[in-house]
Amino acid sequence: MSTRRKFLKQSALATAGTMLLPSFLKSLEANPLLPPGEKILVVIQLSGGNDGLNTIIPYTNDLYYKLRPQLAVPVGNVLRASDALGFHPVLAKLKDLYDKGYIGVINNVGYPNPDRSHFRSMDIWHTASDSNEYLTTGWIGRYLDATCKNCSMAHQAVEIDDMLSQALKGENIKGMAVMHPKKLYTILHNHYFQKISKGAQNHVDPSLNYLYKTLAESTSSIDYLYSKSKIYSSTTTYPDNKFAGQLKTVAELINSGSETKVYYTSLSGFDTHVRQQPQHERLLSIYAESVHAFVSDLEKNNRFQNVLIMTFSEFGRRVTQNASGGTDHGTANNLFIIGKNLKRKGFINDAPDLNRLDQGDLIYSVDFRSIYATVLDTWLEASSAAVLNRQFNTLDFL
Amino acid sequence: MHTSTKQKHFYSRAGFGLPLSKVMTPADSLNQQTTLIPLTIVPSPKPDYSPDTDAEMTRKKLKQKQSELIELNITWFNQLTEPDALIREKMTFFWHDHFACRSRIPFLAQQQINTLRTHALGNFRDLLMAISKDPAMLQFLNNQQNRKDSPNENFAREVMELFTLGRGNYSEDDIKNAARAFTGWAFNPVNGQFIVRPRLHDTGIKKFRGKTGTFSGEDIITMLLEDKQTADFITQKFTAFFVGEIDPGTLNSLADEFYNSNYDIQKLIATVYTSDWFYNKKYTGNRIKSPVELIAGVQTHTAGTFNNPLTITYLQKTLGQVLLQPPNVSGWPTGKEWIDSSSLTFRMSLPGLLLNNVEAAFDAKDDGDVNNDANKANRANQISYSVDFNVLANKFTKASSSETLDSIEDHLLTCPASSENKKLVSALAATSKDDTEFIKKAFTGIMSLPEYQLS
Repeated sequence: MSTRRKFLKQSALATAGTMLLPSFLKSLEANPLLPPGEKILVVIQLSGGNDGLNTIIPYTNDLYYKLRPQLAVPVGNVLRASDALGFHPVLAKLKDLYDKGYIGVINNVGYPNPDRSHFRSMDIWHTASDSNEYLTTGWIGRYLDATCKNCSMAHQAVEIDDMLSQALKGENIKGMAVMHPKKLYTILHNHYFQKISKGAQNHVDPSLNYLYKTLAESTSSIDYLYSKSKIYSSTTTYPDNKFAGQLKTVAELINSGSETKVYYTSLSGFDTHVRQQPQHERLLSIYAESVHAFVSDLEKNNRFQNVLIMTFSEFGRRVTQNASGGTDHGTANNLFIIGKNLKRKGFINDAPDLNRLDQGDLIYSVDFRSIYATVLDTWLEASSAAVLNRQFNTLDFL
Repeated sequence: MHTSTKQKHFYSRAGFGLPLSKVMTPADSLNQQTTLIPLTIVPSPKPDYSPDTDAEMTRKKLKQKQSELIELNITWFNQLTEPDALIREKMTFFWHDHFACRSRIPFLAQQQINTLRTHALGNFRDLLMAISKDPAMLQFLNNQQNRKDSPNENFAREVMELFTLGRGNYSEDDIKNAARAFTGWAFNPVNGQFIVRPRLHDTGIKKFRGKTGTFSGEDIITMLLEDKQTADFITQKFTAFFVGEIDPGTLNSLADEFYNSNYDIQKLIATVYTSDWFYNKKYTGNRIKSPVELIAGVQTHTAGTFNNPLTITYLQKTLGQVLLQPPNVSGWPTGKEWIDSSSLTFRMSLPGLLLNNVEAAFDAKDDGDVNNDANKANRANQISYSVDFNVLANKFTKASSSETLDSIEDHLLTCPASSENKKLVSALAATSKDDTEFIKKAFTGIMSLPEYQLS
């Protein structure tokens, strides 16, 4: 029996006591994990609608400068990456990864009939639904459901947060939100909760049974993550902000060999309606510097080749700047793929077409679900059709 | 079923749990007449929140708008647990989920809640017509953009899919034609009132569900109500929310009655709450509370007060259900969907946080919207909630500590605690220095059990 299996068995037994092992704990013991494989996906969500046009700059496009007289990044400051596109000057660290061939930028990512409300558009990205369809499960949750029928370990998809996002909620299996393993461990190991958890039994009533099952699994999963988090403590210097802290936690778990397949993190504040420039630059630099530290940490531990990082935002912003020195909600946007051995790197498709707009907004050319499908089929070796409820065309960047 | 057990079930479903005082029979509760006092937080239909050339002014205006939305959320939350209008307020909560809508304009949000409350126990026909002409809803479902020359189908689709017939009971042609009938339905932003803009309205011939005519929006709604499927759909949704999965025979006869009563909501409710089957054991103590139900439940069970009103929004946000901010037009999740490792941990920690006034170690998620002040609810995680434990002690203290614990458990739980859990609670309470602390620990202990998540 592998150490991991042994560990799980022990933690399940320790949780439940040996006398009356309820069946949901027996299943923890049996074969609770996703098929083996080393590939790990890290999702970074930029909440609020990142201004993609001021992230990857179309610096040769006159329209860009015409429609954004105050906001446009001056040509001379752009970190040029192709003859049409370049990085915002605060993204020097990201440009560094780009120069190493670690980055793929997919332009014009969106979906048909775009919704300009934060909540709804984020909901669409999380559930991978059509814009007139409402799903209660998320795409990563459905990946767990489809790939791991008898799984009961929440820690295989971990969000570094106190609350679990829709994306990680499946029909039968849900991931878990852990801001820091030690924090949740301490709460769940409160004397009283421990005793309730130890007394967990099977219940005839499905709701009550589900509550106790979730409690027992939470305890097992947090025990696992906490024990893992103690193995490796990062020696890489990360910037001093909350987002970098999230990535550091992810790196520690990855470098410790945690069985987690998907990590989910987010950076918020991109809703820049008013006086965009200072705020947007601050966020972009937090993003670039934190991701750079994260990649270095993984490289140092020879893990980077196993990790794919995907960064998205719920929408881009209106091409024309508004009257308050900001930008309003838009539609299609760029999406970053970061990894060591990308099949396609650099700018994977054409730059946004600023001549052809729909009510002032970019028109999407790549459905975000094609990117999900590519990641699911090629990276996570799952069946994207089962997860996304239909077959989307896949791309060739992996 | 014993009378008091019956009452407990009634209160846990028709309201948010058994209150400490003024417990009535279902029949008396149904006959209660309470005057409706509309919410009037936002007095003016037309405050100017428009962006200003001065960025500071724009910020100020947004700030005012946000604080009005927060105040509306808190005031309405407090209204929900108003003991004198229990059934009406819980039904309003149900309709808010059914007619799920987000409005960023405080006056319109307030107007919609008042509309829901006015018709909550009235006639579904009136409710549907009123909500279809409700400015917040028209805006939310893009009907302001629904014009003769460029129809927008969003409103027409949701009216059929979510408000009346249910998915799969209409065709895409029905949607197209209904959308044409709703063209020109709009509101006047100056006074926040419904208007039909005749020049934008398509007066042509429409074909709708086998009928042909120059239908107006009202005609479409009338035809949807004539369809028995609407009564079936609403009855099904109502019973799923308040009762559980009931047998098809009972469901059909309820739907028939609802349809034949011309959509009398009060009558439907009365039939359910005065029936014997509603009190069947298979429907009791097995419904997972939504976050708002959980918070309102703690408040009802302990008759406590939130000293810092922002705690109310912080808790809604951290538990994942903020009034006036449903995730989308199809409303909130239900049942098991509320429960994951982190939410369950926070839910079980909640009574301890509230009754012992400690700082919460959980942060609400920031959804990224700069204009959503609920994102700033983190500031309220210093919880301040007051409970008069002497009142609780007077009510629940019995001759022996085990009898006291039984009486508290009976007050709080709709499904019995296991004997192991009873022992745990008893051991916890036994560490108390005095009677008041005993009561406090007993309440905290029982409310922290997974069983308390059920109603």
